[in-house]
Amino acid sequence: MSLRESDIKQGPVCTTGSLGNYLWNDLPDPNKWADCVHCGMCLESCPTYEQTGQEQHSPRGRVHLMKSVAEGKLEINEDFIDPIFACLDCRACTTACPADVDVGGLIEEVRGQIRQAIPLTGWKAFVSKFFLQGVFPHPTRLHALGNLLKLYQKSGLQKLARKTKLIHIMPQHLADMEAILPEISEPVRKKYKHANVIKAKGETKHTVALLTGCVMDVMFSDINEATIRVLTRNGNDVVIPQNQTCCGALHVHAGDRETGRELAKQNIEAFQHVDRVIVNAAGCGCMLKEYPELFRNDPVWHEKAEEFSRKVEDISKYLYDTGYEIPKAQLNTRITYHDACHLAHGQGIRQEPRAILSSIPGVEMVYMPNADRCCGSAGIYNITHPEMAGAVLKSKMENVPEDVELISMGNPGCMLQMAMGVLKHGRNQKVVHTVQLLDWAYQKEEGKEDRT
Amino acid sequence: MRGKGIHTNDPHIQALARIVGDEKSILYKKEDLLAYDCDGFTVHRHLPKAVVFPKNTEEVAAIVKYCHEHNLPFLARGAGTGLSGGAIPLNGEVIISLVRMKRLVSVDLENRRAVVEPGFVNLKLTNSISDRGYYYAPDPSSQYCCTIGGNVAENAGGAHCLKYGVTTNHILGLEVVLPNGEIVEIGENGIPDPPGYDLLGLLTGSEGTLGIVTKITVRILKNPEAKQTVLAYFDRVADASQAVSDIISAGMVPAALEMMDQTAIEAVEAAAFPVGHPKDIEALLLIEVDGISSGIAEQIEAILHICRQRNVREVKVAQNEQERARWWANRKTGFGAMGAISPDYLVQDGVIPRSKLPEVLQQIQQISQKYGLRIANIFHAGDGNLHPLVLFDAEKPGETEKALAAGSECLQACAAVGGSITGEHGVGIEKKEEMRFIFNDEEIIAQTNIRDVFNPKNLLNAGKLFPTPGRCVEVKKG
Repeated sequence: MSLRESDIKQGPVCTTGSLGNYLWNDLPDPNKWADCVHCGMCLESCPTYEQTGQEQHSPRGRVHLMKSVAEGKLEINEDFIDPIFACLDCRACTTACPADVDVGGLIEEVRGQIRQAIPLTGWKAFVSKFFLQGVFPHPTRLHALGNLLKLYQKSGLQKLARKTKLIHIMPQHLADMEAILPEISEPVRKKYKHANVIKAKGETKHTVALLTGCVMDVMFSDINEATIRVLTRNGNDVVIPQNQTCCGALHVHAGDRETGRELAKQNIEAFQHVDRVIVNAAGCGCMLKEYPELFRNDPVWHEKAEEFSRKVEDISKYLYDTGYEIPKAQLNTRITYHDACHLAHGQGIRQEPRAILSSIPGVEMVYMPNADRCCGSAGIYNITHPEMAGAVLKSKMENVPEDVELISMGNPGCMLQMAMGVLKHGRNQKVVHTVQLLDWAYQKEEGKEDRT
Repeated sequence: MRGKGIHTNDPHIQALARIVGDEKSILYKKEDLLAYDCDGFTVHRHLPKAVVFPKNTEEVAAIVKYCHEHNLPFLARGAGTGLSGGAIPLNGEVIISLVRMKRLVSVDLENRRAVVEPGFVNLKLTNSISDRGYYYAPDPSSQYCCTIGGNVAENAGGAHCLKYGVTTNHILGLEVVLPNGEIVEIGENGIPDPPGYDLLGLLTGSEGTLGIVTKITVRILKNPEAKQTVLAYFDRVADASQAVSDIISAGMVPAALEMMDQTAIEAVEAAAFPVGHPKDIEALLLIEVDGISSGIAEQIEAILHICRQRNVREVKVAQNEQERARWWANRKTGFGAMGAISPDYLVQDGVIPRSKLPEVLQQIQQISQKYGLRIANIFHAGDGNLHPLVLFDAEKPGETEKALAAGSECLQACAAVGGSITGEHGVGIEKKEEMRFIFNDEEIIAQTNIRDVFNPKNLLNAGKLFPTPGRCVEVKKG
């Protein structure tokens, strides 16, 4: 995030107290940095420290800076903002930390302070407002955007743009993104709009609700379809509450905690009548589980958020815990698994997806070194920090084994980024969601399809 | 990551930036420098003048030469995980960060040696050669992130130095930039014990006061054929201590022989890698034996027997590699785990004769009561290397001073029974006054005279390792 002095405008001052130079509402939690003893065990886990070797871009360095603002030693200014917004929020440091310091949570809280202290102005404010407030929270607008993309792909415009090199007028990182856009199909939210419940095949053992996600349902509705098929095949009735919305993770990562809270409230209400909320996007799942963090100063909603977050589960862990049918068809493929940060570090889910993949007949799992290293996607980080995201992606791709056909993972952001990695680094793997592989095996068993 | 160009009129910053080539290789703004105001020792803090990130030996030499000519104090820093403050810029130094010099230069399995740059992380060496059956023995608990350059500076030890020795026993050669910018090679390409003075021995553990190491030739070892790990819970510290003495006097040399007391157990169990240790025991021992397969079972049997004779409550052998790894992660993250039960801690590093363990632990307990501060003990019991961790809250007025005094008294207790004030963490800032427990003024001056041969202007890492000179200093200079 680079800001010119002229971009800086002071926001409204907090009325409920302050903490050093943190003057705005929703203050950071001092207990979070109190646990850090500056031991440095986090350093090697941090992708931005790996790239820069600079400690202000390391977890303990960032914690030190954030604490220094509370102690009045630093002010919130451009030079403080840089390391705080350059964090990928990948949570690898939380895994590495012997004292369980919640660096990711702190970063998000402090970004909230920064955005109140120095609201975005100019085109950055426009872009941020357009997408974060204007599009993601509104399914119809998001679907409209999806339709535009579909039109772009289907009408021949995409071909034309690529052929005429018109695409090159975009900045390189956006052109790279365009190149890996998945084929857009109909969102499941829309498709099942009038279905109260999608019935389990055979006997109903559980009823679960599906978070369809915002980007997921537009870009990867086929994964949502696969998720529904896998759930129903394993005895789950699936409901898709229509008043659900975007999880708010992108907003919270960007420091817009207020919108994050509004979205959280809407989701908490949308899912209040179900016992289980199944999520197939690691970033969203992690956010839903962390809703209580957003309501630290609001006891009523905090309790509701606590209750809600206990209902949330990632699809892979849910299937693993409640039992799923081992497919009988052989897939005969060599795959490797990438840990999405918000699955492995954010939710502690590592073994379950691997166990599911290994259980599919004919799937040979190939070990990926540093599988839980961030790929650089990190929400919209690859758009805000393309250079760093590219460097992180390069390190990631160096660890992807050569001799595999598929790279499996549990997060749509990672899927886009890894697909870009495959393209940019001249590799030939396909990128798939864990649940898709299971779905393909079931489909093959049913004689419907053979997609590998 | 941010705007281009150097935005300062300071001619030194501009000159240093020219040496390292670009604005991404130098830090000089307060917001960036603040992350460098201390290392793993957080009691003293000071801002550096700048941090520079050289890419090779020549750049290091050029930076040093510039500082030498312009009388700018400077020091070297690796991962900054040191526990005695060796990388803290007390005098507003230019910090020469070596973390971007992190290549594994070469591996020579036939001659069992490897060459690394100083910023290469300790554990990465083992990870790079383990598939071929080799490893690098010195294993400080911070090995996940500490650099081998830093290990050389501090002569770092680790859990397994009981059997395998500390860093100095594994260094075969060094490339060093002297404090005037001259580049020298020490060590005859891995030939053991070259004629003349043992300069490798002198430089290793000199805490960055004699030169800056830019290339290191280390010894690598073949993985032991077999390895077994035992965890033993004792109701009484005295029994655990006695078991340690018994094991050693039975003629065994375990690869590691570690102890944790009740407060330490409370911390590791509240932190990221709990094992499920009982909270009501006074001490646990973590014992590892390794070597050729035959004989391991007998050693384990003998160790179990000794533990039972010393009233062990429960003793078990790790059933698989995962269990062993879990026990070690629990132990090796012990210092950082203190964060889970205390806002701050100060770790001491005394060494005592093994036979004095129960007595000194008793004294540490009394020191804890005297100052009203909790003290946890995690230590390499096998070689008598204690790590009392004084727990305190720096935000409470006066508590930091109390913690420092309590730590100092722990060291005094070690020195009084014929021990030493540091086993592996170095003296740094933290223990420089305590050097007087071991050395008199003449002995200290004899050592600073050696430093002056290498570092005559005392620009390199000044104010570390030795106490502020007493009255005799005039005699020396006169």
